[in-house]
Amino acid sequence: MQSFLDVLALSSAALLHGVAITVAVSAIAVAAGLVLGAAFGLVLTYGGTVMAFPVRVIVDVVRGTPVLVLILACFYMPAGIGLSPGPLTAGALALSVFCASHVGETLRGALLAIPLAQTDAAGSIGLTFAQTLGYVLVPQAIRQIAPNLVNTAVEIVKASSLLSAIGVGELLLTTQEIIGRSFKTMEFYALAGGLYLAINLLIATGGSWLERRYRLR
Amino acid sequence: MEPILTIKDLTKSFGTHRVLDGVDLDVHAGDVVSLIGASGSGKTTLLRCVDLLEQFDAGEIRLDGELMGYRSDGGRRMRLSGRELARQRSRMGMVFQSYNLFPHLTALRNVMLGLTKVRRLPAAEAREIAEHWLDRVGLANRQDYYPSAISGGQQQRVAIARALAMEPRLLLLDEVTSALDPELVQEVLLTIRRLAEAGTTMLIVTHEMRFARQVSTRTVFMDQGAIVEEGDPAIILGEPRSRRLKEFLSSMAN
Repeated sequence: MQSFLDVLALSSAALLHGVAITVAVSAIAVAAGLVLGAAFGLVLTYGGTVMAFPVRVIVDVVRGTPVLVLILACFYMPAGIGLSPGPLTAGALALSVFCASHVGETLRGALLAIPLAQTDAAGSIGLTFAQTLGYVLVPQAIRQIAPNLVNTAVEIVKASSLLSAIGVGELLLTTQEIIGRSFKTMEFYALAGGLYLAINLLIATGGSWLERRYRLR
Repeated sequence: MEPILTIKDLTKSFGTHRVLDGVDLDVHAGDVVSLIGASGSGKTTLLRCVDLLEQFDAGEIRLDGELMGYRSDGGRRMRLSGRELARQRSRMGMVFQSYNLFPHLTALRNVMLGLTKVRRLPAAEAREIAEHWLDRVGLANRQDYYPSAISGGQQQRVAIARALAMEPRLLLLDEVTSALDPELVQEVLLTIRRLAEAGTTMLIVTHEMRFARQVSTRTVFMDQGAIVEEGDPAIILGEPRSRRLKEFLSSMAN
């Protein structure tokens, strides 16, 4: 019987590849989620009833649905209209929409919490509404939600493990394959857990560094 | 000489409650007009209408002859676009009761924002102008502080610098000392007095009767959305004619 270290040596390349997929798909989801989420948040807050309604439906459905269901839906449902996205595309899409819904809702809350007096003050020096958003309201909202955004990024990394269900070769699926061959169940689940923890600690540390760097608090 | 600000028959209601009821007022260059009256008399609403922060139902406001906030479209009265409103607002300055500084920007950046984004000056020039105005209000040594790190009086002086840096034709001040601790009121009043001496045209809503008397060239008393008496501050405040002004002044004295 092989020792844990022997198996680790043999499978380290596969594990690193799994980590890379986990990090890459999470990064794509967070980046796309921030952009889309910012749009969601602005439309929800200032879009008026008609424009905000479809976004409200998307956000509520996504937030009210288990992430796994969302992932399976993104993978299997496009077949109904003749599309067949690969697991990685479908997974990245599901996580992006999940991330965007959380960012959108959080941004809306933060924007609504800024006193109207700030809008008055910006208007009184002659800023247009778009300038008021860009230079006064959004910067304040971002400072407010920065810790929340870091949490969302951590949630996305954890949720990316669910992509193993549709066959994306990320960290969890890779780990399960190694266990399937070597039967070192305890060791490799512990290792996978440690790697997830390490990724998330890096995100948290990087987040607080950024907050200090840009005086967000 | 043409007045800087002309208000004619200004009328505004919130629901069935008429907050402004046919206000007429002219402000000439160099005038310091103090607006006094009880809470709910319409003073602040009048100021906010002039700064185009509130819409109004009828009447007109002109700044240097230009119709403010609305245009006439085939006899119909239409609110101007956001961009037009912003352009008109940039020609007036407003200082608010609760300062309303931008908390994420330093004092200097608060003053610079309008210069770089509205007047589109290069950063170096905007910085020079902002430093000049912060110096004028006695805060050259606080320019890199965030609003949360300075006193209320200092914040209000930054707000005054922020408004003046835009070189407004008219400065509107809305109870600018009401939110301040008593010991901080004088530094702000002194700043305003210096501006008055330098010829800044101002429309001031205030509850400080002594200040109104000392600093203004004209005092206007409002009650229930209308102007009841106006004229020389010493006469308005010293020899009130109407019963309502007499009652108001005696209530302020107590």
